[in-house]
Amino acid sequence: MKNLKKLSLGLASAAALFGSSLTAEETVKVGVLHSLSGTMAISETSLRDILLFTFDEINAAGGVLGKKIEPVVVDGASDWPTFAEKAEQLLAQDKVSATFGCWTSVSRKFVLPVYEKYNGLLFYPVQYEGEELSPNIFYTAEAVGQQAIPAVDYLLEEGYKKFYLIGTDYVYPQTTNLVLFEYLQSKGIKVENIGGGLRKDASGEVISAGKYTPFSHSDYQQIVAEIKAFTASGDACVINTINGDSNVSFFKEIAASGITADDCPIVSFSLSEDEFRSLPTKDLVGHLGCWTYFMSLDTPANKKFVKNFNKWLKTAPAGVQKEGRVTCSPMVLSYNGVYLWKAAVEKAGTFEPEAVIKALESGISFDGPGGTVTSQKNHHLTKNVYIGETLEDGQFEILESYDNVYGEPFLKGTF
Amino acid sequence: MKKILLLLGILVATLSAQAQEDATRDVLERLALASSSEQSAITEELSALGDPYIKDFVDAWRTGEVFSYDVSESETIVLRKVSEKFRRLSNDEIFEIADEENDENLSKIRPSRKLRKVLKTITDTIDLSSPDPRARIEAALKLGLSQKTDYLEALQSKIETEENEKVRLKFEEAINISLLANAEDDEALKHSIARLGELASLPARDGIIGIQNEATESGDAEMVAICAEAIKDIDSAQKTIERWGNLVRGMSTGSVLLIVAFGLAITFGLMGIINMAHGEFIAIGGYTCYVVQNLFADAFGTQSAAYQWFYWTAIPISFVVAGVIGYGLEKGMFRFLYKRPLESLLATWGLSMIMQQLFRLNFGAANVQVNTPDVLIGNFEVAGVALSYTRIFVIGFAVFVILMTWLLLSKTNLGLYIRSVMQNRNMASSLGIPVSKVNSLTFAFGCGLAALAGAALSQIGNVGPTMGQTYIVDSFMVVVVGGVGNLLGAGLSAMGIGTVDQFLQPYWGPVMGKIIVYFVIILFLQWKPGGLFPTKSRSMDD
Repeated sequence: MKNLKKLSLGLASAAALFGSSLTAEETVKVGVLHSLSGTMAISETSLRDILLFTFDEINAAGGVLGKKIEPVVVDGASDWPTFAEKAEQLLAQDKVSATFGCWTSVSRKFVLPVYEKYNGLLFYPVQYEGEELSPNIFYTAEAVGQQAIPAVDYLLEEGYKKFYLIGTDYVYPQTTNLVLFEYLQSKGIKVENIGGGLRKDASGEVISAGKYTPFSHSDYQQIVAEIKAFTASGDACVINTINGDSNVSFFKEIAASGITADDCPIVSFSLSEDEFRSLPTKDLVGHLGCWTYFMSLDTPANKKFVKNFNKWLKTAPAGVQKEGRVTCSPMVLSYNGVYLWKAAVEKAGTFEPEAVIKALESGISFDGPGGTVTSQKNHHLTKNVYIGETLEDGQFEILESYDNVYGEPFLKGTF
Repeated sequence: MKKILLLLGILVATLSAQAQEDATRDVLERLALASSSEQSAITEELSALGDPYIKDFVDAWRTGEVFSYDVSESETIVLRKVSEKFRRLSNDEIFEIADEENDENLSKIRPSRKLRKVLKTITDTIDLSSPDPRARIEAALKLGLSQKTDYLEALQSKIETEENEKVRLKFEEAINISLLANAEDDEALKHSIARLGELASLPARDGIIGIQNEATESGDAEMVAICAEAIKDIDSAQKTIERWGNLVRGMSTGSVLLIVAFGLAITFGLMGIINMAHGEFIAIGGYTCYVVQNLFADAFGTQSAAYQWFYWTAIPISFVVAGVIGYGLEKGMFRFLYKRPLESLLATWGLSMIMQQLFRLNFGAANVQVNTPDVLIGNFEVAGVALSYTRIFVIGFAVFVILMTWLLLSKTNLGLYIRSVMQNRNMASSLGIPVSKVNSLTFAFGCGLAALAGAALSQIGNVGPTMGQTYIVDSFMVVVVGGVGNLLGAGLSAMGIGTVDQFLQPYWGPVMGKIIVYFVIILFLQWKPGGLFPTKSRSMDD
């Protein structure tokens, strides 16, 4: 009897050992760190969905280095300290090889020290303000030079001479507008033709350019009246970095005031196809967007991507919204990030973050839905930039494209 | 004989108009199918034609009602979709398209942004003869601002025949703006600048500043002085417009505040319930509009005339829906909380979260869109101050709601009961007033008012699960400043806060402006803790 017990114990432990070595051999853990609840959930949930789709696609094709990807999904809950906690959990407890996550710049700033402490690897997919370069983060996102600058170039080409800057009051709009303020002046636009107001510090240096409203601001009457007076001369446009709900009130007020996209186009940097699901698209028709990917891109790669994603949605796990889905730039940049990581792992021959980062720095290309992207030594990507015009159905018609734009995070003070 | 001649004359005129339109349609068809390099030559042909049909077609082209259709491998024609039928552009022949979505020969075409700009100047020239005075004004200003000599001639010839005095002035303004770049000599230029100053032309301001800068460099002191004078005139006129604008916008902001706070003025002000779920009752109003809109769209289709009535139907329905829910909640929850303010704070906060989550479960986390009925689209401009019809509607609606509430409270038996119960529950009860019924009805009425606010807000803001949160702080602020229990006070405080906010914004921006408003309110409540109209009471507690 005693022997039997020993035997069974031995068998069980052997099975446990065998089992664990089996999983370690067959799968590799990666983290997904997005807000699945709270205010940011509406945007970030789409990124979780696209990541799960990408993992399934790679696993179906044989995985990475012969291993299947095993996602560890955690919820940042739109709360920045929670992001840091969850990042620590992913790195210390789950020991993930790489993490795909974050949306707001402030959440990235919170997890940055965690990734540096554990020497991990994070892929960040959403357009941001630059002025940051962590050795442990790869920014697949659009830098200012890949969104705001090309958009301004396009408007200058179109003959607009006055620029009104408006945004939500936080780090991304403030920094982007300061860079644009310098850039516009370098292009010969006079200070009085840059609208929205300036704030200077004691020494007279401009520390804030443009008009700012808090998150969830809803009364845009005064600002729209100001924009209307600003555009009276007929050669003005608006650069919009308002985030979230406020865009509804802003565009409704703009439409009601009689300002049309023909008189004064508004180019928005935070509104992609996914956001249009909750916006009055009718009021946005004719206004502009600038991203490194549009769902309407007419390329075989993009068509295949959209088709596969829609096919995957049908069999998607519970909790994934299946109706009325679209693809947008942050989603595609997440997708590209996973494939770049896969290519880097295969090049390095290991999942070790340090070696993977080295491989990425050496320059790896991937033919994504938005065109070819190439990783750079400075942890950003070279990619194509597109200017699009909003249509009634919430899609963009592509007006202009700029090929292979280099990703440069440090632009302040370079013009 | 004369009659026959006349008839013949009319016939010839219509025929030639028809012939011209046919020619226009041919050119338009070529333009729609042309590559971008060929387009510029064709647009020149088009501008020579100047047919009103061009405008008609360009609008349709812009809104996606124009298609290219491959009749055979070598022949492609242009179809225009008019009231659900596809007609050939050149001869109006009807084409039967069975499956619009999947027909491979059919594809929607759009003018490029560049082409649209060119077409816009052509349609603007046509608009100079539009029967709508506003269209004439807008077209004239645009052509003037382009400062091209061709359009200057068009404007100069049109001003001769213009009869509307207001439009004439705008034509004059447009001509002078164009002359800023095209004047024959300095004398004419000076005359134009001076005239633009008299007309207080804001669109001309940038141009005049440019001339002033040039004149400063070349040392033309007289020109600098004339420019400075004109700019001063423009700026002072603009200041007046701004001041009036602030007042009007203040009223509009005030009416939004008032309408969201008025339900709370009943439930919190009169009944003393700290209802943190007030914002969610506002959201009920917004969502009711959304649901009614969808029902109308399903029943009548979005293009029908009946669909336009969805909003006006939704307003009373939202009042009833929220009223019924409020009535039920009063019976099931609030009546146990009348003497326990702290518990009521926590319980209603919980209720607010439950309701938000219910909205999310039913309608999704994303905002939903409530369309604006056609009559509320557009704006109204008087003396340079523009106010959209939706804002005017909200102001009018606020006045209507106050009037109705006042009538209810002061002219009806129920109103009398409500006032007596609110003043002293026990006394009212001992006099035979059905206190618990009055409580339920009053609370239901307050909730109904909140939903009316939501219905109004659906026209100017977003409808989403958390839409009420944006307004809850403002609502309490209005009620407290006005004096708890005083409806007139709520009205005055809402208008006051709105106007102060709008006057501060241009100087300090929306963020600082709001902070200053809050700060002023804190100081005010230190000075007058009971608000504008404190409730006089003989009770020892108050």
